[in-house]
Amino acid sequence: MVSPTESRRAVVIEDDPDIRGLLVRVLVKQGFDVTQAGAGLPGVEEVRRVKPDLVTLDLNLPDLDGLEVCKLLREFSDAFIVMLTARADELDKLTGLDNGADEYLSKPFSPRELQSRINALFRRRPSPAADSAARSDLERATEVQQSLLPQEDIQVQGYDVAGVFRPSRNVGGDFYDWYRTPEGLHLTFADAMGKGMGAALIAATVRAVMRSTGLRHDLDTAFASASKAIAEDLDSSNSFVTLFHARLDADSGTVAYVDAGHGLALHVQSTGTVHRLPSGGPPVGAWAGSEWPQSVMELAPGDSLVVVSDGVLDVFESVEDFTDAVLQAAHNQESAQSASTAILALAPAETAEDDVTVVVVRRLPQEVAA
Amino acid sequence: MEFSHEVKESYAEVKANGRLNMVSAPKLREFVTDVIAAGSNRIVVNLENTAFMDSSGLGALIGCLKAARQAGGDLRIAAVQPQVKMVLQLTSMDKVLTSYTSADEAFSND
Repeated sequence: MVSPTESRRAVVIEDDPDIRGLLVRVLVKQGFDVTQAGAGLPGVEEVRRVKPDLVTLDLNLPDLDGLEVCKLLREFSDAFIVMLTARADELDKLTGLDNGADEYLSKPFSPRELQSRINALFRRRPSPAADSAARSDLERATEVQQSLLPQEDIQVQGYDVAGVFRPSRNVGGDFYDWYRTPEGLHLTFADAMGKGMGAALIAATVRAVMRSTGLRHDLDTAFASASKAIAEDLDSSNSFVTLFHARLDADSGTVAYVDAGHGLALHVQSTGTVHRLPSGGPPVGAWAGSEWPQSVMELAPGDSLVVVSDGVLDVFESVEDFTDAVLQAAHNQESAQSASTAILALAPAETAEDDVTVVVVRRLPQEVAA
Repeated sequence: MEFSHEVKESYAEVKANGRLNMVSAPKLREFVTDVIAAGSNRIVVNLENTAFMDSSGLGALIGCLKAARQAGGDLRIAAVQPQVKMVLQLTSMDKVLTSYTSADEAFSND
């Protein structure tokens, strides 16, 4: 019996509208919230969006082979997959292979048989209680991650500073942090490996450690001690974190920075050129004995320091394409906020699998600053 | 993602086909650990058919490298594709994870 409080989701991927309708009815009767797709690729997107517990998948779809779709789904989903085929002779062949599907049915199928196969699958599924525990883990991770972001705007004379953050469905380990110093500001931008609560907790640790280093005057010493503390924490979890930490001297425009495996900080110049700041060493916690020398860059009036997470990079074929696109998006923007938003838009929300984070530190042109 | 391995004269070649992401990363780690446990400590991971790798995938390669070194051997990567190469360069991990054009070349000089 299906208890009424149990909310299970299903996606039906089937091109024949009649069969699709039948499948939807059968599943709704079994207590599923059902959505549907008439082809393979829309189906994959639907599964990505809905995160169902069950997928029924037709083998012969207009765009992609059902086996191909199954493979794509298995990249990110652990839903039960029931594969349907109109060709009974294929059934033996299919069941003998490890395709990633959990169950096979030949069409025409009896609704009762489908129901009993699905029930059998769900008897093997962890209890709904375990499921809801996992969901609230995701919610808690989201809260942790949100709490790491600066709650207020930052005012630095002669500068315009903004940051934007868009979480993905799977909480990642992105965060940025900034605070005022007598000289200007300190900025930390980090991405912890992986997703979920683990990544969010690592991010929280990193933020706390980096904040505590703000008191140390010398950047090299500060970063060396911070990375040591972080690496010790990471050691047991087999994880690492990419980290960009910068200190701005507002009067001179000098930015001293350390880049540990991030590699996605850009110097966007008012002249319309862009220069990527290469990372100085591996991510923190990735490799014992690593060192990260500090580097220095100068922000001229009208220049921006743009730091972006790899969620934006994933959209582009190459780093060059990425830096060009960031330049186009950031150049001639009115404010740091509008530049950040334009860069964020480079990674469309529908397809982004990862968190996307952008920070822009813009030195105002002289006539505006005066 | 699918894995296979073949023990050659001076090393074991592991082929990883598909996307190396959060789902497949732990599986790669497990697979390579098993190969090491079976007695091979010189490993080449052939990435010819790995078009995509995320940070979890990178983490798995690093974990496998540590395991191979701990067993007194080494792990090298071969036939690295553009996106994977990009991740290795951005993170400066290309200096730690040495890549070779083919699996044969990886241990040819030692």
